[in-house]
Amino acid sequence: MKHENWYDESHPELTRRRFLGALGATTAATFLGGAPRGFASSIKQPEATADSCILIWMAGGMAAPETFDPKRYKPYEVGTPVDQIISTFPAIDTAVDNIKICQGLEHIAGVMDRATLIRSHFQPDLGSILHSRHQYHWHTGYVPPQTVAAPHIGAWMAKVLGGRNDVMPAFINIGQQLEGHGESEELKAFTTGGFFGSEFGPMNLPFPDLASQAVKPPGGMSPDRFAKRYKALENLLKNSPKSEELSDYHQESMLRSIDNAHRLLGSKEREAFDLTQEKKEVFDEYNTGRFGQGCLLARRLVENGARFVEVTTEYVPFLHWDTHENGHTTAAKMKKEIDRPIARLIKDLEERGLLDRTLVVIATEFSRDMMIEGVPGSTAKDQSRAKTDVIKEMKHYGLHRHFTGGSSVVMFGGGMKKGFLYGKTADERPCLVNENPVSIEDLHATIFTAMGISPKTEYSIEGRPFYATRDGHGKAVRDVFA
Amino acid sequence: MTRRFPFLLPFLALAHPLGAEVDFAHQVVPILEKHCVECHGGDESKGGLSINTRELIMDKDVIEPGKPEESLFIEVLTDEDPDFRMPPPDKKDSLKAEEIAVLERWIAEGAKWEEGFTFAPDRYEPPLKPRAVKLPKGAPGTNPIDLIVAAHLKAKGTEPPKPVDDRTFLRRVTLDLTGLPPSLEILSQLPTEGNLDRVAAVDKLLANNQTYAEHWMTFWNDLLRNEYIGTGYIEGGRQQVTTWLYRSLVENKPFDSFIREIIAPGPESGGFIKGIKWRGEVNASQTTEIQFSQNVSQVFLGINMKCASCHDSFTDRWTLREAYGLAQIYSEKPLELVRCDKPTGEKAVASWIFPELGNVDPAKPRDERLKQLAELVTHPANGRTQRTIVNRLWNQMMGRGIVHPVDAMNTEPWSEDLLDLLANQLVESKYDLKAVMRLIAISRTYQSRTEVRGENEGTYVFQGPVRKRMTAEQFMDSIRSVIGVWPAPDKNAFGKGLTGGQLTAVMAAHGLEKWDNRPVRAVFAKRDELQAALGRPNREQVVSARPDIVTTLEAINLANGPELAGLLKAGAANLQGKSTPRELIENTYLAALSRKPTDSEVRIATEILGETPTSEATEDFLWSVFMLPEFIYIN
Repeated sequence: MKHENWYDESHPELTRRRFLGALGATTAATFLGGAPRGFASSIKQPEATADSCILIWMAGGMAAPETFDPKRYKPYEVGTPVDQIISTFPAIDTAVDNIKICQGLEHIAGVMDRATLIRSHFQPDLGSILHSRHQYHWHTGYVPPQTVAAPHIGAWMAKVLGGRNDVMPAFINIGQQLEGHGESEELKAFTTGGFFGSEFGPMNLPFPDLASQAVKPPGGMSPDRFAKRYKALENLLKNSPKSEELSDYHQESMLRSIDNAHRLLGSKEREAFDLTQEKKEVFDEYNTGRFGQGCLLARRLVENGARFVEVTTEYVPFLHWDTHENGHTTAAKMKKEIDRPIARLIKDLEERGLLDRTLVVIATEFSRDMMIEGVPGSTAKDQSRAKTDVIKEMKHYGLHRHFTGGSSVVMFGGGMKKGFLYGKTADERPCLVNENPVSIEDLHATIFTAMGISPKTEYSIEGRPFYATRDGHGKAVRDVFA
Repeated sequence: MTRRFPFLLPFLALAHPLGAEVDFAHQVVPILEKHCVECHGGDESKGGLSINTRELIMDKDVIEPGKPEESLFIEVLTDEDPDFRMPPPDKKDSLKAEEIAVLERWIAEGAKWEEGFTFAPDRYEPPLKPRAVKLPKGAPGTNPIDLIVAAHLKAKGTEPPKPVDDRTFLRRVTLDLTGLPPSLEILSQLPTEGNLDRVAAVDKLLANNQTYAEHWMTFWNDLLRNEYIGTGYIEGGRQQVTTWLYRSLVENKPFDSFIREIIAPGPESGGFIKGIKWRGEVNASQTTEIQFSQNVSQVFLGINMKCASCHDSFTDRWTLREAYGLAQIYSEKPLELVRCDKPTGEKAVASWIFPELGNVDPAKPRDERLKQLAELVTHPANGRTQRTIVNRLWNQMMGRGIVHPVDAMNTEPWSEDLLDLLANQLVESKYDLKAVMRLIAISRTYQSRTEVRGENEGTYVFQGPVRKRMTAEQFMDSIRSVIGVWPAPDKNAFGKGLTGGQLTAVMAAHGLEKWDNRPVRAVFAKRDELQAALGRPNREQVVSARPDIVTTLEAINLANGPELAGLLKAGAANLQGKSTPRELIENTYLAALSRKPTDSEVRIATEILGETPTSEATEDFLWSVFMLPEFIYIN
């Protein structure tokens, strides 16, 4: 593969503060991508145990009893009353004696000795299940709607911590298409910098194999031409009779941003976006599809200074983890997609000495159950498409209802304990959390604390404080820290 | 209504007898003042706790009256963990044992508070009623805005800003009133510098109902939270006002009627007060009834009711009861006040927040109550509504409100006279928004050079208009007008369902049988990735100001995003071979920047284009011009 280096060698004259510098603009430019940001308040920030965070998002509701919290296994058999079914996969051993997970996750089982497994995460029922609404809640810590646009957890990282270097965008979102399906507007509502503004919003890379296009000249444009175009802009700027008016912070912001963009598009870090630079055998091992490629991309981005990366299995109504029927078959397929790349990601990070300072979190908006929609007593409408009393065909077999009473979260690295199990759910239905419950705000507090952000960090918006966790109430789960 | 220590004087001579009740003013206040108020009083409410009033403290459940041992307020004073102790040990000394003892006794005795006492500083209290303005003296025929501004600047000892030339004026006013830069045709008819009839130019722009409506639709869509697709529609929990809104703009509907039709709506204008209804349970402060309270207050009165819809506001005088009173006007069922997600048992009573103007009758049915509210909001003696909208118009045209931010109308304006002059102009013109815009646009003040600002400069002093960033819609439309390529109408925009239908609305307002190939402006397009990057909001919340800076992701998108690249390609194809390179350069500069290029700009542009410009060279030239701050900022 030919190495396109149009920036460093062919055009050595391109310097870092080229556009701002071209005008001799006066103020000291704080590069938006790079400089650490001051904290909003004088609140004491915890000492970080992680520099980067990768959120592996199991979009659509990953059933804990089919993945990380195996229960009594009932094999497929026509005629089985459905209320006898809790798990449709047998448990398997992992690298840790007291931790078993479900069949189909053999690779991840092999790295569980690097993991903290929380089995006691739970979500509010909200009276009705709409995936995008629960995902909004999980990603921002606030239940929609909100009076102000709540920032995504990644936007908090970008705002409070900034980038890890001066080129790599602080918040990168991999694998989610935001157009073309029934809940895309709802997804966009939280995939945003919120009231922090778009400077802190995500760089969206829905297709990992096309990610390099986001940091390259537009399609069909040669690097040489791209460089010339910037040169043309620079010359026009220098010769503009209006340049004396440019020491205005608005206009400066524009030149500074053009500089930032230009710097990223010309940096060596941009190669991190290009999966074709990876060795074929490595690529192949990750490549179970878009999700697997996303894990590889996440690793490359973190290696090159990304602060917060989300990789999703992608939420599309009724697809992927959103199993309203055929739950067993779909779960098997999904596990195939996630098992190898996640395990490889953990090993790769470890090999590179990055795992200790990279917090990897596997999470989902809620779990699933064969019988219960929401939690016992919920008013949520049953949305199963495979309603039956006894199993008659394969499509009935699996967990088709949205369960908010207990889900699993796996955390690797970033200061978490290794081979550690935290929290429990009941062994028999309803499989509610019955030990060490962890709410969304407490889970967020744990993630924020690991990243060196106090859960009470606040910014003022419209005259009122807005906190990293809801009303500053989140409390980190201290027991999971090493 | 704040007062500080009005009650102190009578007590000063009295010694505090042993065994008597703790004296709030003499014993408690000084301790709170010394140790707590810096972070939890006045404008500060660290950790969400303000101790300005007893109600605010009680809201947070930190004091259990009668039970100091169960009060968090006392517990944190002695907490062994320095992370939890108050005041924070790294900031302030801990309280002395005897000070803690006083606070414990005070709480044991019921935490009594002097009626009306607050730690909040005295605030500006804006007048409610309209106010006649006495104009400063000046030459006859002088625009009253200029008279007031000149007197203001003189009092401040500031030089008035210099006037702009005809071209700068024309570009500014055309973008402000129609969202587009002046056309080549208009520019070619410009008389020699200094001879443009600026009043006639303004009148001509305002007379074009179509371009006026197409441009101001963006502003009103943001403010009324009107979008063609988006959250809520999926379940029928949201309704557009597009057809009504566009027609109202075309007709330049008097603003009082406009408000009445929104608050007490007919079938086409009900979307705003309906809000967005999400399926399932929502936070008590986000029910559609509370959204109504918040949105009506914000949009028409410049009042932030968001704080008060959860608890009495820390930052202004609005209370939970008032927020619910407004909500109850809209609500079909009786509402119970919920404070910070905890029901209080108190029932809301439909009422309006400025009872000095009259009130709604809670016994009347909902539609009657809404009508009464609409009358109160548009009441001739309600100067608040008038000031709020004229301040918004000033902000749109001048780049910064007379009251700033525009949604905080309790803030002191930099010139009360100017604000009231515009408000009175609105009323005198029978609520004609265009008449207010006209008065602004023909003023010398508007026609001055933009001030050169640094970021976060201290107290604001008016020094001329503030440079404005083009909105996403202005940016797209301006590029399209330069390259002469407009998009084909989107089929979904002709629908009649819940979503889409925006071009049907245009046809209805102009009486078109079928689409007549008029430019499809960006305001009618769906919010694509480029428009989103350029700052078009998703309209989940009311938006009254767009971002004024350009961000990095935006710059990346402009550098390599497919949308702009596609536009440039189409533009190059359209312009290809129609003119010499020199003409292309001059026309592009004229169309984009309303000025001719200088010789050195022509030279550089020629280098970019070459003798026979290729399509690629033309795209690159266009891109470079569109990336100039001079293009995207309205000077």
